[in-house]
Amino acid sequence: MTAAARIIAELRRTPRPIRLLGASGQLGYGIPAASFKAGIDRCPDLIGCDMGSIDIGPTYLGKGEMATSPEATRRDLRRVLLAARQLDIPLVIGTAGSAGAGPHLDATLAMLRDIARLDGLHFRMAAIRADIPRRLLRAAVRSGKVTSFDGMPALTEQDVTEAAHIVGQMGMGPFRKALESGIDVIVAGRACDTAIFASLPAVLGFPLGLAMHMAKIIECGSLCCVPGGRDPILAELDHDGFVLESMNPDRSATPTSVAAHSLYEQSDPFTMQEPDGTLDLTHARYQAVDNRRTRVSGATWRDAARPTIKLEGACKIGERAVLLCGSADPRFIGQCKALLPNVADLVRTLVCEELPMDYTLRFRVYGIDGVRMVVPENEPQPGEVFIMGECIAPTRERAAEVVRTCKQFLLHFGYPGRLSTAGNVAFPFTPPEVSLGPAYRFSVYHLLHVDDADSLFPVEIETT
Amino acid sequence: MKLSDIAQVIRSKNAGPRRLTLDIMFGSDADYHRVVQSPALGAENIGRLYRLPPEQVTIIPYPAGRAIKIVMARSIMAGDPGDYDVYGAQQHAPLLGIEV
Repeated sequence: MTAAARIIAELRRTPRPIRLLGASGQLGYGIPAASFKAGIDRCPDLIGCDMGSIDIGPTYLGKGEMATSPEATRRDLRRVLLAARQLDIPLVIGTAGSAGAGPHLDATLAMLRDIARLDGLHFRMAAIRADIPRRLLRAAVRSGKVTSFDGMPALTEQDVTEAAHIVGQMGMGPFRKALESGIDVIVAGRACDTAIFASLPAVLGFPLGLAMHMAKIIECGSLCCVPGGRDPILAELDHDGFVLESMNPDRSATPTSVAAHSLYEQSDPFTMQEPDGTLDLTHARYQAVDNRRTRVSGATWRDAARPTIKLEGACKIGERAVLLCGSADPRFIGQCKALLPNVADLVRTLVCEELPMDYTLRFRVYGIDGVRMVVPENEPQPGEVFIMGECIAPTRERAAEVVRTCKQFLLHFGYPGRLSTAGNVAFPFTPPEVSLGPAYRFSVYHLLHVDDADSLFPVEIETT
Repeated sequence: MKLSDIAQVIRSKNAGPRRLTLDIMFGSDADYHRVVQSPALGAENIGRLYRLPPEQVTIIPYPAGRAIKIVMARSIMAGDPGDYDVYGAQQHAPLLGIEV
């Protein structure tokens, strides 16, 4: 009997609250050993881990690579897999490999198979793909079933064709299907983080509003606590509410800290749109159980009339190379915002002698305006600045040529009042030019309206 | 008094790659109520700080978390060429000096 079948049968036979362990909000950056063990000692009914997000930017999705190191990822996967098999409970992993496209899912599955082989583990594993077929998506664009939001331009068939990877955020459907078909481990591609934790309670008939609210909080580990942190968190869900407890005794889930977590990375703290419906927290209540635990109730759920799948896709825009340097010369710093475009013009005359202007070159001046979207007027001049020149060009060689040329002419660029005629900038090391590989941007961030969302996310089951 | 002297948390982050959300959180109900009524935290003033028209700035009071949420469009999509803050985690600075 599989872990999912066992837990489902047990809770149907003898209804009781269900305990879910949120092991990690970003698997692959390390799971604190002591608090994870404390969580396992509480005998949870499920271990869930989120493994990715759109926050990390378009490059991981585009390249099909993980943001985390293979060694740390493998260590985290082994830790949660061994514990889940030891307790014989389902392990549910969402947004595999940082971005949840095919290569990310495949790399995660390969690691799990490898761990199973080396540790002699045998289990049934469901893999759920989140890649959206291009032909289907182009047809959806033509028939007006793809819409824009947050001011994104309309999706074109060309965008669909040119994207390196396009994924959809799956909801609970594919997870429920996998749990009901009997598995020990689920590894999903791009998925709503809530689906990782809410799907098993949904199968067992717990109220969806509560299950979703709980899932939304525990997918971030102990971030909802004071002080917030990355330790595992335990939730115990019944039919009227759920209790949250960090597995690190130094972190407390207080009514205010948990309520405040509803703000995190959300544009609306009262209602949250999910593929399967809307979570409404207007009447959520947060009550202290003791000084470390909070009980939450009151969230409600409205099923969507028609499922909506959020699409994410990234396309390659060229090869990126950067130049890293700094300055401590007050005259150069005072004029650098005006000088840098002149340096870029000079570079263009040199590298475009025989070739067209086929690249972009931009500068960020840290100390002046490298970080902020808006900079107040009349700020005092800093004593030092860090300058990053960034080139995106059609080839790696072309990008390197531009930043290397830029380095030399920025170093020796003449300007009125210049005293430091041996060089305008300091290099922390040489070479100060770095080739960063392919650059991507998000070209797809749209909504796909479908009748049957679950058919987009095929569930494949294998035995290790 | 400056906002940074009274608030417990002042932070920014993406809410998806095209929007920025700023959270201001307080340690007591009294501090929250004092600031939530201040016109300094209105869409007009926040828009001026971020050089956006007030209709592109949404202010959401959230008493359960003793917090005020501000939502606005990012001037550049996260990760696009020219972006300066992919996670949007450092765009809170203009709020720190607001007089309340």
